[in-house]
Amino acid sequence: MTTATPVMPLSPGRAAEETDVTADAGQEVARSASDVGRDAAFERDALPWLDDVYRFALSLTREESDADDVVQETFLRAYRSWHTFIPGTDCRRWLFTICRNVFLRSRERQRPTVDLEDGEQDAVAAGSVYAAAREKGYDDIYARLDLAPALRDALDDLAEPFRSAVILVDVEDLSYESAADVMGVPIGTVRSRLFRGRRLLQEKLVTVAEDLGFQGAGTP
Amino acid sequence: MMSAPARSRLEALGLSASCVEVLTHLWDYLDEQVTPTSAARLEAHIASCAQCRQYEDYQECFLRAMAGLKQELTAPASLRERLADRLKGQGCGCWDKVRPRP
Repeated sequence: MTTATPVMPLSPGRAAEETDVTADAGQEVARSASDVGRDAAFERDALPWLDDVYRFALSLTREESDADDVVQETFLRAYRSWHTFIPGTDCRRWLFTICRNVFLRSRERQRPTVDLEDGEQDAVAAGSVYAAAREKGYDDIYARLDLAPALRDALDDLAEPFRSAVILVDVEDLSYESAADVMGVPIGTVRSRLFRGRRLLQEKLVTVAEDLGFQGAGTP
Repeated sequence: MMSAPARSRLEALGLSASCVEVLTHLWDYLDEQVTPTSAARLEAHIASCAQCRQYEDYQECFLRAMAGLKQELTAPASLRERLADRLKGQGCGCWDKVRPRP
C-alpha cells in the first residue's frame, strides 16, 4: 500500500494577491482575486481529505473504478459549489455528504431506509460472539493476527448501510452526530447500524480465524 | 432499552446486573456516548471484574484494528492524475496540488 501524500496548503499570503496568472499550455489566463481566494481555500480545506473521501467512496462502491468516478465527481461538485461551504465548518463532513449523494445518484436509487431494532441487541449479540470465540481460544485474535486483510475483505462483504456506518465512525473517526449528518439519518440509526456492522464483522473474523486454522491460545 | 425478560435471561446465565450493563453498553462507553455518571459506574465495575476487563480488551483491540485500516487505503496515483486534469479543466488554480508527488 502506498502512504498518503499530504497536500501542502498555499502560503497564507497568496489569497491576498490581486490577480494570478496561470500558465496553461502556453496560454496565460488572468484570474480574479476572488478566484485565487477560492482556490486557496479549496486547496487548504478540501484537498487534504482526498484519501478520506476515496476510502469512503470505495466503501460505498466496492469497486475501485466506480470509487474513482465518485471521488472525481465529489471534488468537482465541491469546487463548483465552494460558495456554499461555510468556512470554519467541518469540510470533511461536507465532502462525505456530497460523496454519498453522488454515489446514491449514480445508482439511481433512493437512500436506503433500514429500520433496525435497538442497537442493544447487537451489542449483546456481540457478547455471544466473543463468548464463542473465547471457547475456541480466539479471544485474542485481534492482538495475534494481522487482521487488516481480513478486515478489508469482511468490510467488502458487509451490506449497506452497515458498511457506511462502520467506515465513518470506526475508520474515519467521525462522531455519531457527524456520521448521522453524512448519512442523513438520526443518530440512533447510526448507532444501530454501527453496532450491527461491528457484530457482523466480528462474526466474520472468527470464521476467518477458523478457516486459517488459527490456533487458539490454549490449543497445544 | 433491553426488555426485562432479555435482561433476566442474561442474568440467568450467571452474569451479574453490572456485567449485563457492560455487555449492553460497552460500545457506547468506548465511543464516549454515555454520561459521565454511567461511564464512572461502568469503569468501576470493569476495574473489579476480570471477565468484563477481558471483554473490554477484546473490543478495544477490535476498534484499534478498524482504526488502523485508515493507514491502509489511500487514493491511487491514477485517480489523483485524473482529478487533477478535471480540476484544471474547471479552471481550478490548485489542480497541480492533487497530483501525486514523485
